[in-house]
Amino acid sequence: MDDLCRQDIPYGRKKLQFSPCMKHKLIRNSARNFAETELAPIAAEIDQQRIFPRNVIAKMRALDYFGLQVPKEYGGAALDSISSAIVVEEISRVCAAVGLCVTVHNGVAVYPIMQFADTGQKEKYLPQLAAGNVIGAFSLTEANAGSDAGSVETTAVKNGTNYILNGTKIFVTNGGVCDVALIFALTSLPVNKLQSSVFIVESKFPGFLRGELEDLCGMRANPVSSLFFEDCPVPEENLLGQLGDGMKIGLATLDNGRIGVAAQALGIAQGAMEAAVKYAKERQQFKKPIASQQTIQNYIADMATEIMAARLLLYHACEIKDAGAPFGCEASMAKLYCSSVASKVTGLALQIHGGYGYSKEYDVERYFRDARVTEIYEGTSEIQRMVIARAILSQPMM
Amino acid sequence: MLNIVVCIKQVPMVTELPWDEKTGTLRRDLAAGMMNPACKRAVEAALQIKEKQDASITVITMGPPAAEEVLREALAMGADRGILICDRMLKGSDTYATSFVLAEAIKKESTDCDLILCGAYTSDSETAQVGPQLAEELSVPAAAYVENLDISGRMLRVRRLVDHFRETLEMECPALVTISMERYEPRYASFAGLNKSFMERDIAVLDAEVLGLTAASLEARGSRTKVRRVFIRKAQKGNVMITGAAANAVGEFLDKYQRRISAVIGKSIEAKNQT
Repeated sequence: MDDLCRQDIPYGRKKLQFSPCMKHKLIRNSARNFAETELAPIAAEIDQQRIFPRNVIAKMRALDYFGLQVPKEYGGAALDSISSAIVVEEISRVCAAVGLCVTVHNGVAVYPIMQFADTGQKEKYLPQLAAGNVIGAFSLTEANAGSDAGSVETTAVKNGTNYILNGTKIFVTNGGVCDVALIFALTSLPVNKLQSSVFIVESKFPGFLRGELEDLCGMRANPVSSLFFEDCPVPEENLLGQLGDGMKIGLATLDNGRIGVAAQALGIAQGAMEAAVKYAKERQQFKKPIASQQTIQNYIADMATEIMAARLLLYHACEIKDAGAPFGCEASMAKLYCSSVASKVTGLALQIHGGYGYSKEYDVERYFRDARVTEIYEGTSEIQRMVIARAILSQPMM
Repeated sequence: MLNIVVCIKQVPMVTELPWDEKTGTLRRDLAAGMMNPACKRAVEAALQIKEKQDASITVITMGPPAAEEVLREALAMGADRGILICDRMLKGSDTYATSFVLAEAIKKESTDCDLILCGAYTSDSETAQVGPQLAEELSVPAAAYVENLDISGRMLRVRRLVDHFRETLEMECPALVTISMERYEPRYASFAGLNKSFMERDIAVLDAEVLGLTAASLEARGSRTKVRRVFIRKAQKGNVMITGAAANAVGEFLDKYQRRISAVIGKSIEAKNQT
């Protein structure tokens, strides 16, 4: 961590939050204040009605939510990875669906452009993405390709100065509103072996079509949809990286995306725990608050401990990333653990609420639904274990 | 260029104040800090002036090292310079001592200041005293509880709500104004602004020695008040039954309560009782 973060201030227990330094604390307060003012009043309604809150998104644009880690010269906020995780955490603590929009845009649409684009592509796309005038999406998943990323069937065939895209992508986060999507497609290499490549595809290109919004269990305010490509011409200068770099870009992007999903899961867990603590102090049974019951106290102790462990694991992965070292294994650990904690904590929070927790009147019902998918997308928990085990087993024996 | 100084304070971010019932003091260690809401509006008022004319904004706070946070936040919102007055000798200062020290800092660091803005009151102590006392220390005209502020040349025009009517006052700079919670909804700081406030800005830290304050001078101008006890008032509600014939009951009721009723409705009901 940079030396500006050396502070002797114990940020630990205060108001159930944890921030390693003063800058991180201020960034957390800022995002929390925004989320509680702008998102808390509408979070339940936009979830039920499946509304993407464009007015709030417009406010977030001006505050750099869409250019969290983009360098200053491209108009971004140039935040470090812990700061970026804290922002996603705080938005998700109140409204995970909007947190999802932010983390996908920054983590898997903007990030690969920052990492793999040439100067021309960066100059064309990064300022617009960082300003949030252009919303990004990342699209790998297909009907027959998810965990098995190598089975992509969308094709990109060279025709003059264009690649012609054909195929269907499903479950595209931000799909209903994105202006730019990174599309994985099969490209023929000279050696005649089929390999995948990544293209920066603008929604205004002809043949770029969107499907209906998905009716999902959670994250309902995010416009998740399918994308269809029907003879969609993509200029060759929109090829990201080199021809055949699909797997390389995809894996690097997913490593980064996993930090984002971990932050999102952590935010959901934090929100659910706070709701449960508040409820346990208020709810009277047997003429005393249920928080005075040892069973409830045990639940709260477990929730708080696991959330803190998850947070430290996540920030550890962020530090490794910012140090420029390979962070894939730690990102997978953070994603695996944070999502598992989110599911457990939201379950316990619902349990503490009893029957009311099963009702849409209380936020924990939404947290419970939102948490579940964090164990699935950006690589299922099973895939994370595979990634972690591979990294551990490939280390030389002492 | 207009030189504006905004005095701000860090207060605990809590909805229910954790008091230590034994000592009567605030359990600050349990609560995270934030910029006092009215102070944030004062910063916003300064920023709105700066949007209309050439101005420089200095934010000053007195507090522990962690109070640097609110200065950084003000810098992120758009202020130009941050000053932290921090010294163990100043611990526990009341409003009298605080306004004295703030005045010394302003005299030293911002001699040519044209306008001093403060929050009208703080969410943790609500005395509303520091602003007006600071104006006395600096011998400048002041207006408290201001909801709107216009500046034209050296003339300051302020509007405020006092006792259910609005008044407009004019003063010449330099002057001090305390900003109420009516207007100046504060802007959010952008993340680029927050990052910049740490990466590209320095906070000047002034201790008692730099300000030329000695133990003796602080003794002379030190706190005059001491908080003996802070407690949450418990509402005491009880029913009073008045029985008997209606005419007597009404008479008894008025005898008992007419003074209180008069106080609530703002006029005497004694005459009516007699007729």
